[in-house]
Amino acid sequence: MNTLELMPTERRTTQKNNVIQLPYGLLGFERVKNYVLLTRPEEEPFMWFQMVGETKQSFLVVPPHFVLADYAPDLSELDVAFLDLNDPSEAFVLNIVTMRGKGEATVNLKGPIVINRRTLTGKQVIPVNAAEYAIRHPLPLS
Amino acid sequence: MLILSRKPGESIIIDGHITVKIMRLEGDVVKVGIEAPVHVPVHRHEVYEEIQKNNQEALTQSEAKLPSLTAKAKPSKPRAVTAKKPLSHAH
Repeated sequence: MNTLELMPTERRTTQKNNVIQLPYGLLGFERVKNYVLLTRPEEEPFMWFQMVGETKQSFLVVPPHFVLADYAPDLSELDVAFLDLNDPSEAFVLNIVTMRGKGEATVNLKGPIVINRRTLTGKQVIPVNAAEYAIRHPLPLS
Repeated sequence: MLILSRKPGESIIIDGHITVKIMRLEGDVVKVGIEAPVHVPVHRHEVYEEIQKNNQEALTQSEAKLPSLTAKAKPSKPRAVTAKKPLSHAH
């Protein structure tokens, strides 16, 4: 069984079983369907969600509980079925961070990326309760 | 595109289980009521465009350096049912 493991960026060789498949891509990037999750210890809890392919472009992502403790996206039944989630604990949630310059950053809580840890299939979903969350949620900086 | 004329109070049924009803007109705003099964997500189209735009703004080169915000995000205890366990790290 594949499990989702993070690779240090020093080890850039992408093993096949670490590729996360997004059959629908990300909104606006529908053609890119394969990603890997890269991490550097000094950058935790942030990670890079990097496209697999010629362009090594990536998105900065963060697990949402670092941003909003009670974040609870309510997935539609269709998304749950698509992601084949048997249990909420199978879902690994990542939210895209946008750096806005001058050390400011926002987190998209409206369109999280949800990945099934067991199948490594993911989707950028719009939760049923998306209206409760901001697309430019300010990153809490101390 | 199928174009139907409807008056306030009239509705359209889609696939036998989704009802779109024109509730009322308020100036140039049309109030639309939608009845759909829970498994059918209904969102304003702008939400999609918003997320699309945000994704495009967020795209970075992978070698980009993180600004100093790295250590500043405060971890808080997860409560969301969907994000319980931290991932293990490969060594």
